[in-house]
Amino acid sequence: MAGLKQILAALSRAVWRELRSLNSLTANNFFLVCMLLMLQPQSAFFLLLLLGVLLLFPLSSDPMSKIPASRLSLWPLTRGQLILLRIASFWLSPVVWIAAAIVLWAARPLMGFQFFLVAAAFHVLSIAVSTLLARAPNANLLLHLPPVPTYLGRLVQKNMREVLNMLDAYLAAVMAICGTIYRITKPGADPDAFLGITILTVIALSTYAQCLFALDSGSGFTRYKLMPLAGWRIVAAKDAAYLLVLFPLVLPLAPVAGMAAGMAALAVGHHASVLHRRPQPRWRFTGGANIETGVLQVFCLVSAGVTTYRTAWYFVFLSAAALAGSIWYYGRRLDRMR
Amino acid sequence: MISCRNLSRTFGDFKAVDNITIEVEQGGICAFLGPNGAGKSTTVKMLTGLLQPSTGEAIVAGYNVARQPMELRRAIGVLPEDLGLFDSLTVEEHLLMSGPIYGLTSAETKSRTSQLLEALGLLHGRHTFANQCSHGMRKKTALAMALLHDPKVLFLDEPFEGIDPVTAKTIRDLLTLLASRGVTIFLTSHILTIVEKLATQIDMIRAGKIVWTSAADELPQSLEDHYFELVEAPPVLELEWLGSNRS
Repeated sequence: MAGLKQILAALSRAVWRELRSLNSLTANNFFLVCMLLMLQPQSAFFLLLLLGVLLLFPLSSDPMSKIPASRLSLWPLTRGQLILLRIASFWLSPVVWIAAAIVLWAARPLMGFQFFLVAAAFHVLSIAVSTLLARAPNANLLLHLPPVPTYLGRLVQKNMREVLNMLDAYLAAVMAICGTIYRITKPGADPDAFLGITILTVIALSTYAQCLFALDSGSGFTRYKLMPLAGWRIVAAKDAAYLLVLFPLVLPLAPVAGMAAGMAALAVGHHASVLHRRPQPRWRFTGGANIETGVLQVFCLVSAGVTTYRTAWYFVFLSAAALAGSIWYYGRRLDRMR
Repeated sequence: MISCRNLSRTFGDFKAVDNITIEVEQGGICAFLGPNGAGKSTTVKMLTGLLQPSTGEAIVAGYNVARQPMELRRAIGVLPEDLGLFDSLTVEEHLLMSGPIYGLTSAETKSRTSQLLEALGLLHGRHTFANQCSHGMRKKTALAMALLHDPKVLFLDEPFEGIDPVTAKTIRDLLTLLASRGVTIFLTSHILTIVEKLATQIDMIRAGKIVWTSAADELPQSLEDHYFELVEAPPVLELEWLGSNRS
């Protein structure tokens, strides 16, 4: 029984650490914009709902999955103890706490139950996907992402996979899909609305531009140090991947303004990406360097996007020039760090 | 081919490498031996440009490590301590990425990649992401990356650890062949039986200082005995509780 208590204590520490990793959301540009929009709650509701739905994936994970299967089967636990562990670990899930809070605190049992069912459906979906990938690794769509046909093509391909390993990309995708559906179903809609959705799409992906090396790990960074590549090429390969993910998202909306905004986000984000590298866990929202960088990034990307959209398309070259200058400067900084 | 003088590296108050001098001729296989924490990996990092030395200078493949980093990177192949792999690339993609970066054509890269995958027994797992591979597969992938561009100097940090005996023999034969063709090899290892058969030069390090340098055939006794005498004698363990239930 004492052993079981220790396992549960370790499990709750692991769950707590995972919950703390969700803190990164507070320095996420999209979250900051949502908080700002809370001044007018109706306009923020949909965006917060999107964030919440995507957050259900990490929140609904089974606490027992944190124990490696081989370790669990090696521990001298009886069948009864394993059942007890399974029951007790259920109560460590954040989803259960939230559902319980809705039931007890808000006194809305039906809503709490519905929330729990939705979370359980997300959990079943994640298990189904990971089981499928374990049995048929070729089903992993990221494996089939084609390399870009240049000599840095594989590097760009790797970088694109990294962008697609963060929830930010999926939030941006949901925004873009909603915008596209709106465009198709409302042909006479105000064109400015598409600019707004484009900007929100870029904001959703912009925090990642502050953490371009976040998923490379120490081992990956060793490889960068060994490669006979100038720093600017390494930074450019990161940017190319980011823009290649962004382009199809903004294409049906306001593509030129979207790319101008994306390039501005990258130009500002290089400082934090190169000089303050911070690892990020996969399948989470990216946490930015700090709120000041986030505010500056959002200001620059909104300015670039709006100016390009409202004034003239060739203002996109201003963003491109800023990006080129930033790549050159932070490439040199990266070289010095290598 | 490898020459360093008075190389030191300090981390705060701790002197990881203390004033070492190493010379390795072209085509030589230098085994750099020592216990964990003696300064082997720090030395490899300084010789490959991964870490700046606190003092001293190193010349590798004719290039000054501190002043000609790009030329050095093109000339050397490295199996680093942390392997230097990207989690988001498969085994095969690591090699396909590496070739063009070192100036190989697409055809050359593909042909060398398939040969290396076959030689190192990586064919069956070539489409597996690096973070899903076993440690042995990861090490073999990093080794293949070190060999792909046909470097002048090879630095291998513990190449045989975690590798199955058959692949270890393949690697040993491959390294002997490379050395006979003029490639200089600098390796660290704890597997003395392999090192004894492979190395042409033995350097031993203890607590950051070189304690032995000679040609492999000039050792006064077997490598293992010499190692235990100079570097670290095995401790006598007195763990009475181990196995006590059965007596």
